Amino acid sequence: MYLALREIRRSRGRFALGVGAVGLLVFLILFQQTLLTNLLGFFTGGLANQSGDVVVYAADARRTLAGSVVPAETVDAVAAVPGVARAGPLHEATFTVRPAGGRDLLDGVLFGYRLGGPGHPTTLREGRLPRRDGEGVASAVDADAGFGLGEVVTVEPAPGAEPVRIRIVGLGDDLRFSVQPTVFVSTATFAAARRATNPAAAGAPVLPSAVVVETAAAADPAVVARRVTARVAGVEALTRDEAVASAPGVAATRQSFGVILGLAFVVVGLVVGFFLVILTVQKAGALALLRAVGAPAGLLVRSLLTQAFVLAAAGAGIGVVLLTAAAARSSPAFPISVDGPAVAATCAVLVALALAASAVSVRRVLRIDPLQAALGPSVGGLA
Amino acid sequence: MASLELIDVRKTYGSGHTEVVALDHATLTVGDDEIVALVGPSGSGKTTLLSIAGGLLSPTSGQVRVGGEDITRYTNRQRTRFRRRRVGFVFQQVNLVPFLTARENLLVMPRIAGRRDRAVLERADRLLAELGLTEQAHQLPATLSGGERQRVAIGRALMNEPALILVDEPTSALDTRLGEQVMQLIVDEVTSRHTAAVIVTHDPRMARFAHRRVEIVDGHLHAPAPA
Ligand SMILES: Nc1ncnc2c1ncn2[C@@H]1O[C@H](COP(=O)(O)OP(=O)(O)O)[C@@H](O)[C@H]1O
Ligand SMILES: [Mg+2]
Repeated sequence: MYLALREIRRSRGRFALGVGAVGLLVFLILFQQTLLTNLLGFFTGGLANQSGDVVVYAADARRTLAGSVVPAETVDAVAAVPGVARAGPLHEATFTVRPAGGRDLLDGVLFGYRLGGPGHPTTLREGRLPRRDGEGVASAVDADAGFGLGEVVTVEPAPGAEPVRIRIVGLGDDLRFSVQPTVFVSTATFAAARRATNPAAAGAPVLPSAVVVETAAAADPAVVARRVTARVAGVEALTRDEAVASAPGVAATRQSFGVILGLAFVVVGLVVGFFLVILTVQKAGALALLRAVGAPAGLLVRSLLTQAFVLAAAGAGIGVVLLTAAAARSSPAFPISVDGPAVAATCAVLVALALAASAVSVRRVLRIDPLQAALGPSVGGLA
Repeated sequence: MASLELIDVRKTYGSGHTEVVALDHATLTVGDDEIVALVGPSGSGKTTLLSIAGGLLSPTSGQVRVGGEDITRYTNRQRTRFRRRRVGFVFQQVNLVPFLTARENLLVMPRIAGRRDRAVLERADRLLAELGLTEQAHQLPATLSGGERQRVAIGRALMNEPALILVDEPTSALDTRLGEQVMQLIVDEVTSRHTAAVIVTHDPRMARFAHRRVEIVDGHLHAPAPA
């Protein structure tokens, strides 16, 4: 500590530069992680934040709501499986929607569920859940885009059909699906929207995309899901987390971000590693002198690791401060949140990485020959 | 009791036809509070002898005792500990840690020995005062003159109350007047502490400050003819 901190104090400019570089990289990493969380939320929020902890797809649906249609009687078959507290239909489809305030048409997702049953949104921030047909809960990020509380959005009908109006009675966090504005409505409202956009199928029943299950308090959703798959013909049941992870786009998004984030971590390691190597090489004379007058190698290694820690911890601090500043200025349409535990985990990984990155310098310190102090820099070399 | 005993010490560098014999049949005893000047031309083995006496280098053969402690077969770890506790070095070239002030360059000695008490601070300040460095105590080496730096190094060597002080060419970078002052300072400090010292120099004029003079030529020690 004595040596490490005094050296930092005497070369403030250099350490400030190092800390600044690490800080910017940490901010980049934290920001990308927020970006990833947001993006994944936009892809799957509606599915992740509904009350069913098991989602039952048609077996041939390849685990997507869009590709899944289940027969009406499946709901009752699922409800009869032990461990299932409540089961209900969940409809999902994309419609052409006209937001309130005469805005342009856009694609929007409707989730239809049995009011009072499973499948209702769980992240209500304002208003209430729908109590009757024609009411809906929208994703809060779209409130300013014509999906605000009390506003009426319209499902654009096929020519000649009647439009379906939905009054927004509640707003929930992170409810988007497939990166589109999303509204949770009753099954009847969903069916009305279906018929309005496809009058040719007017007589046919509107089948659910999936069955959502709220499991009994003592039951493990994973076990219940396996049991449902085994006992009900023609379905594949997944826990909510599994369903979210297998939603379209999630794996690909995770993978691309994983590569970018991985690279950023590598760069942090390289920056810290190079910084410490340069420092170690430049003070090789002083290190040999200290070893010569009896400083144990371990003391010099600890001093080096202290500096690596300071570099990473201060850099992480700067990254967090920048992220917090960015979060304070972020808009509801693009929320930047500071997810405490996730940020702490990232910072811990970065500190561990910095300590690992000092390995090359540690090796150099351990290989210093104290005799160099007596012989002077003219004999031998730094290598 | 002798502070330093070298008994038939031999040191070679390299091996085969690149082998250099830096020291051969070197036998030397330095008494408890004796100051010995080791005089010899460049390349004669002075630094090698000092490094062996100070536990920086182990001899190829022969025996080394410091304050009655046989360090000949010490491990690296033991030698590090020995250097920290028993000897004070003033090296020829790099002597100060550049990012520590004059006072901190003294205080680093007890620090690496795990001491951080008040007595240590007082000792450092007393040494700095004796060496005329009170005003420079908080300056970094880069802002000190050559003579001042040399004096800080002497203070550093005395800091852990060693039994033996080893000084390598303390005056080579200084002019004659300054060199003599530094020499006198070393002798005063060492004498007042009843510590033994070996002072290496290639300048015979500096040797008169010592109690005794030993000459070294091509790795062989000679007691000079009595004057
Ligand atoms: N590490 C080393 N490797 C090889 N030869 C060395 C080494 N150190 C010293 N020597 C050689 O040993 C001899 C004595 O060197 P040294 O003790 O430094 O002499 P002095 O200090 O009297 O100038 C010289 O010939 C020198 O070249
Ligand atoms: Mg020499």
